[in-house]
Amino acid sequence: MIEIAGLTKSFGPRHALASISLTVSRGEFVVLAGPNGAGKTTLLRILATLLRPTSGKLKVAGVDPLKVGPLARRQIGYLSHRTLLYDDLTAEQNLRFYARIYGIEDAEARIADLLARVDLTDRRRDLVRTYSRGMQQRLAVARTLLHGPQLLLLDEPYTGLDPVAADSLTALLTDLHAEGHTLLLTSHALENAALTGRRAVVLLCGRVVYDGAITDPAVFATHYRQLVSQAMSSARPASPAAPKPDRPDSAADVSGRARKLDYLRQVLAVVGKDLTAELHTREIFSAMAVFAILAMLIFSFALDLRGAVARAAAPGVLWSAIAFAGTLGLSRSMAREQESGGMDGLLLSPADRTVILFGKALGSLVVMVALEAVLVPLATVLFNVNLLNPGVVAVLVLGTVGYALVGTLLAAMAVNTRAREVMLPILLLPLVVPLLIAAVQATSGLLEGLRWADLRGWTQLLVVYDLLIAAASLLTFETVVEA
Amino acid sequence: MAETSVALRRRDGLGLVLGLLSIVSFLGALWMVFGYAPREATMGDVQRIFYFHVASAWVGFFGFFVTFVAGIVYLTRADRRWDIVAHASAQVGLAFITMTVLTGMLWAKPAWGVYWTWEPRLTISAVQWLLYVAYAMLRGSVMSPEREARFAAVYGIVAFVTVPLSWFAIRWWRTIHPQIVSSEGMAITPRMLYTLFASLAAFTLVYATLLRQRIRLANARDRLELLRLAQES
Repeated sequence: MIEIAGLTKSFGPRHALASISLTVSRGEFVVLAGPNGAGKTTLLRILATLLRPTSGKLKVAGVDPLKVGPLARRQIGYLSHRTLLYDDLTAEQNLRFYARIYGIEDAEARIADLLARVDLTDRRRDLVRTYSRGMQQRLAVARTLLHGPQLLLLDEPYTGLDPVAADSLTALLTDLHAEGHTLLLTSHALENAALTGRRAVVLLCGRVVYDGAITDPAVFATHYRQLVSQAMSSARPASPAAPKPDRPDSAADVSGRARKLDYLRQVLAVVGKDLTAELHTREIFSAMAVFAILAMLIFSFALDLRGAVARAAAPGVLWSAIAFAGTLGLSRSMAREQESGGMDGLLLSPADRTVILFGKALGSLVVMVALEAVLVPLATVLFNVNLLNPGVVAVLVLGTVGYALVGTLLAAMAVNTRAREVMLPILLLPLVVPLLIAAVQATSGLLEGLRWADLRGWTQLLVVYDLLIAAASLLTFETVVEA
Repeated sequence: MAETSVALRRRDGLGLVLGLLSIVSFLGALWMVFGYAPREATMGDVQRIFYFHVASAWVGFFGFFVTFVAGIVYLTRADRRWDIVAHASAQVGLAFITMTVLTGMLWAKPAWGVYWTWEPRLTISAVQWLLYVAYAMLRGSVMSPEREARFAAVYGIVAFVTVPLSWFAIRWWRTIHPQIVSSEGMAITPRMLYTLFASLAAFTLVYATLLRQRIRLANARDRLELLRLAQES
């Protein structure tokens, strides 16, 4: 099921994994042990296709995940440190979203089965943020199993669980193993009696230092501690067991799934998920609307906008308010993914990475258009101008499309920086200045009574900007969201 | 130690040549700007800023172009050397664009009566300056070196999208910026043109010298980090 040869992962000059070789057969239950920083999570994230190795060969379920990621990801269920669930959705809505992303047929029946299996049927319509840690972990297991993966990668699944919840998880994992799943699990709880007879692999400083069976968990735990203290002084490569490689999973041919309709369905699933979460919280729209209105108010007295001056300044004030409020919305939308680990959840799915770009951008576009639906009538009244005409609407759409696209690309970067709270406006606003100049000038021209043809230069600039940004985003987004 | 110093000097022979060429060509350009090019009839000596302004703008834009290309190559090959080139070129390009904005302001005061006016081309120059300041801030704010390189490559590519917008802005928008190159030919005399070419050559050589030194510095920093890690382990 897993074949690793000479796998290395470097972060800058530091090696997190140093030429690891390991083979795991179909149906095996392997415990991956090692102290913090040994490289366990790095190895699991590489196997889950969330990280690219620096060098080495890798096969999961008979295929190279670096070459055919979507095919491999259909065979992998990854349970992370984080639950990868959206707090502002219910259990059902979370699983329904992932079912749409994975393209699961008869999803409702599958979801009902899994919720019953993890004993969450009664709480299926409650928001995840109201769940206890144990319940969230059980739902995360249901998410991991949703698409019927053969290989389960479980990173510290017992973390934060009370003894009862831990026993329940052990029983579930035992059942899954009995059903034929391959399990690779990292754990510090090596005294667990359920590990008897399992294969243990110990990692230290990015190297395999032990590979053998656990006959008695208590004895193994003692041996493990000695091993770690010895190996700290002289790490040695292990001679891993060499089971025969698995056959490629021919049943999982998903090449036919890369169809336009599937793509559109996945994009709409991301949009639907974002809008559902927003309907539950209303935090993004309300924050953007209040901020935009405040911006217009501040401009009105800072620039002493009255009479003809107010009418002349109206397009600029409107677009500035949209731009500033837009950074809030884009930033928060991506932060939501980051906080919940939802980005990893999306990356684990077989969906094309650009699905995330277009889904998130379209979700932001909908929220921004809703904001404009409030701001335009308001500006019409406050500045005594006629903004309610089709030309202005067209300019608003042209400008907002480019803004949402480039904003989504940059927000995906900004959430991964140290200064994430302030980085998005710094990155985004210089980049959208040409767009804003064109949009303001086109809107002003329309208010002055110019025809659409008279504004060709500005509208062309908007279109060129949108196309260039769309092309650049499309080509680079996958690079940005890779861990 | 002596052998190492000799080896380093030998290895940087090209750097030495570049440095000498930069000094000679820059001194030559200075002589042409102040001793060879004629005094402009309307604006007088203040027009001579033009030779520094245009040359630094050219090198700044070229620096960002190199960052753009190196970013694309890095994304396709994941080779750290290209990230180092992209970073170094952006730093040098930012320094020259800063010089462009400052010399432009010095020229604008006697020419237009103000240090700054919000005409479109100047605005785009300011935007580009801000873009590459943001590029530098982004690089400083990402913790993982690999992710920093990827993010910077993407941002360098997207930021460069504004360069053609800047170039075409002079025709798309009404502007009071002097148009040196137009469909009617050059608006300067042959001596002025030769001086401009000499300045462009000198600034390009200075750019190449600085770029090389920045790349060497980054490589030295990498080697130091490796030594530190080796010592720690």
